[in-house]
Order: sequence, then structure tokens, then C-alpha cells
Amino acid sequence: MSDTSLPEPFTDLEPLAAVWALATETERNQQRLSSTMAQIQAFYDTLLPRMEAVLTYLSTFPPEPPDALPQKARRLLYLALAMAEITTAVELHQQPSVPAGFEPRRFIPDHERMER
Amino acid sequence: MQDSTDTHVNGKRWTLDHPELGTGSLPITPYLSTEYFERERGKIFSRTWICTGKKVEEIPQPGDYLVLDIAVGKTSVLLVRGKDGRVRGFHNVCKHRGNRLAWNDRGACGTGLTCRFHGWTYASDGRLIGVPEEDMFFDFDKRDYGLSPIATDVWEGFIFINLDPDPPETLHQYLGEVVDLLRGYAFDRLPLSWSYTAEQKCNWRILRDSQLEFYHGKALHQQFAGKVMINKQQPSCHVLDAKLFRRHSMMSFYGDRRNTQRTPMELLMAQFGASFKTFPSARDMDRWPLGVNPTRSRQWFFDIYYIFPNFHLVILSPFLFVAHTMLPETVNRSTWNARGYFPQPTTAAETVTREYNKCLARDVWLEDGSTLENTQRGIESGVLSHYPVQDQELLIRHAHKVAEELLASDGQAE
Repeated sequence: MSDTSLPEPFTDLEPLAAVWALATETERNQQRLSSTMAQIQAFYDTLLPRMEAVLTYLSTFPPEPPDALPQKARRLLYLALAMAEITTAVELHQQPSVPAGFEPRRFIPDHERMER
Repeated sequence: MQDSTDTHVNGKRWTLDHPELGTGSLPITPYLSTEYFERERGKIFSRTWICTGKKVEEIPQPGDYLVLDIAVGKTSVLLVRGKDGRVRGFHNVCKHRGNRLAWNDRGACGTGLTCRFHGWTYASDGRLIGVPEEDMFFDFDKRDYGLSPIATDVWEGFIFINLDPDPPETLHQYLGEVVDLLRGYAFDRLPLSWSYTAEQKCNWRILRDSQLEFYHGKALHQQFAGKVMINKQQPSCHVLDAKLFRRHSMMSFYGDRRNTQRTPMELLMAQFGASFKTFPSARDMDRWPLGVNPTRSRQWFFDIYYIFPNFHLVILSPFLFVAHTMLPETVNRSTWNARGYFPQPTTAAETVTREYNKCLARDVWLEDGSTLENTQRGIESGVLSHYPVQDQELLIRHAHKVAEELLASDGQAE
């Protein structure tokens, strides 16, 4: 189970990580767009009170590449990146997608290709 | 430090400072007409400096190259760094029988780039250095068949090209006042942090205009920018400064980032890293480049710099900017590349703050993107023959006049 667990202080967030700890922006964005607003809101509400502790913990690790992080810390990073992904849905749009927005699938994140 | 919101006169109309531009509506024909587009191709995109949107650090080592298909110039462009460190541009065309030379969009050619067709090899400075069975040609001299150069120059790390074989002015002459206004900005210290590309079924001017004004901020970006833009002293004006140059232009926008209530995640992000919803420390504002927040307002949101015809810089702080590169493909198809330049994270927590800013920018751009093809369809319906231009859309009015001048000229710089 070591590859699917979080650092010790955050093990209670495991149910969120099982869904949201995804490695790429495209995967996290697809998860956001295929979730209900209730699911996204629950993720946000659960993680927000822990987010300061999460960021404080992540402050002790190098930024990238993600491979440079121990596996548990990397999984926590992916969870925090998913929080960054869904923040606009909660704080701006009150719905999973950008209202009447341009199709995300046609807005290609070149940086994912450059990073590889 | 003066507070510019106190000194700007209520009721100021920036357009009236430029009587030569008039206040009339603008024609819709340039957005629709194939004939007009062909004139733009010939007299604007084939003769002025255009920004590739790429930076020199994307081809860091000698022999590293990028390939850009510039449809409006009907050519593929090879940007390659030579052994001498210089970045050069060439038509990506083998001089034997015209095959495409480099097929990947980026790569490293080491000692030479070899055409797949007959194996001709070129050095990174464009010289033809290898021809298989050369003795079987007749009266042949390799020096006559080097790659065809494209005028290429660099400003603040951004690579520009000019498809005119003999540009009448250098890039720095072309950029004019913008060079001094932005000198000293951290262009060399901010890494490319995100980049999105979208093909849009719209005329390039629709795309260009969408990032050339912020009159749309309170409506289209209501959730992102609406509260920041509220200005009790000047409820309907959000412009702190506007400067029109010979070709280019800039506008500086009001936004009270210091006193706008922030969301929980915004507060956390500002605590752990940079955020473009946060007003940067004004402590050393006097040392900022002259052209960044030129009025030195503490209610400054961002500046747009428009480098005619296809490049926009949006500067949100001394350490955060975005760049839009827009190129036509055909009269009703365009490519949009939107990039963010953001401080290099030093910890995994800062990777999260960067992601937050990236997702915020992306969602705002998805709002911008929503208008483009709809606007194209709207004007194709024939309902509009002209459109009115608000004071805060002054840069669009100016850009139209610049284009008209170039289209009327013989192509030489005045």
C-alpha cells in the first residue's frame, strides 16, 4: 500500500487522494469536469482547513521534478495540485466548468508536452 | 508617491487626446473580407516584424532548433542556434528540390541537419556542407545552395522574424519607445511556466481585439475581475494611462487588488508564493521599469503592451507576466498561443501556488476563448456593417489605423 498512501499527518485524506491525486493537469481537469459540483465542493471543504498544513509540509521538499519527491509527498503534492485545479470551480464559477467557456479539450496545454 | 486615482480627472476620454483617430465607428469588412486578408498578408505579415512568441532559452545549445509553420507567410521557419551562439532563422526548405528539411517541431541537429529526401546536410548557420555524390552534379558549387535566410532578431529574449528579405528597419527601430519603457523588466529571470495553444475558427483580428481592451473585464470576467475593478471615483473608467506609438500601444488598468476581499485560496496562495491577485510590494516601485505601472498607482491591476501586429504582453507585477502570440492561418482561422511567465518554484509548495495561478489564468482565457468563434459567426451573419468603439477600446481604434496606413503604403517604412 506504500504507493497509495499519504504522509503520516495526512492519512485521513486518503479517500480524497484516491480520486484526486492525479499526475497531470489534463487528468485533474478531466476529473473536475466529470465530477458533480457536490463532489467538488466536498473535496474543497475537506481539504481547505488542512491546506495550510499541507503547504507547510510541501515547503520542505524541492519543487520538481515530481520524481525527486518521496512517493508519499509526491502523492500529497498531486492532491494539492488538484485543489488548485478545482479552486476556480468553487470560488469563481460555482459549477465544475467555466460557464459557457471555450472547450478545454481544444485549449491544449503545451507545457505538459514540454515537461516530458 | 502620488495616488493616480486622485489626480485622474473624472470624465477623461483618452481617445480625445488623439484627434487624428476620430471617434467614429469602425468597419467590419477587415474581419470578413478575403481580399482584405490577402492585402494584410502581403503588406503586414510579409513586411513587418512578427513575434514568434518563442524565447531564446527554448533553443539553449548550439544546434538546438525550433520549427514554426507560419501559414500567413506560406512558409515553415527553422530557428536554430549556431555554434557562435547566434539565433538565426531560415526557410525550412531544402534547396535541392524544395522538400521540408526539419520535420520535428523542435530538436537538436548537432553538427548538421540532413534532408530525408536525398541526404543534403546543412550546418547550423545555414551553409550547405554535405551533398551525397556531389561529383555527379554539373557546374555545382555548394556555396550557391545554403538555406534561404529569414531576418531574425531578438528583443528581451523574444524571437522575432521578418519575412521581408530586406527589412527597411531593424527590430529595435520597429519597437521604438517600447524598448526603453520595458528595459530592466525581469524578462530574463522569469521562466516559461505554462503555455496553451488553440486553433480558432475566427479572423485573427477578432482574436487580437479580444486581448486588446479590458472593457470586457467586468462582464466576461465578472467573477475574476469584477470586484477588483470597482472604482467609486470613476465608476465607468478603468484606464490609468494609455500611450499610442507609431505602430504599438499600451494601456494601464485600474484595479484595487490591495483592498478587494480575497477568497480563502487566494489568501493561502499569497502566503506561500506569488499570486496575480495580489498587489506586489510597492516598496521599490520607483525602481520598476518606467513602462510598468507608469502612473505608479497603488490601484494598479495590469498593463497591456501591444506589439503590432501579433504580440501582446500583459504585465501584472514586476515578477509575473503573460504573453499572447496570435497568427492568422486563413481569413477565418487563427492560432492563439497564451503563455505565463512566473517565478521558478523553489519548493513543492510553490509548485502548488504556480498551479493555482496557471488554472486561474487558463479559466480566464477559456472565458475569452468563448467569444471568438461566436463573434466570427455573428459577423458572418451580415448583421453588422460597422461597430462602435468605446474609449477603453482605444487600442483597437489605433491598431485599425496602423493597419490602414501599412495597407496604403508601398511597404516601406516612413
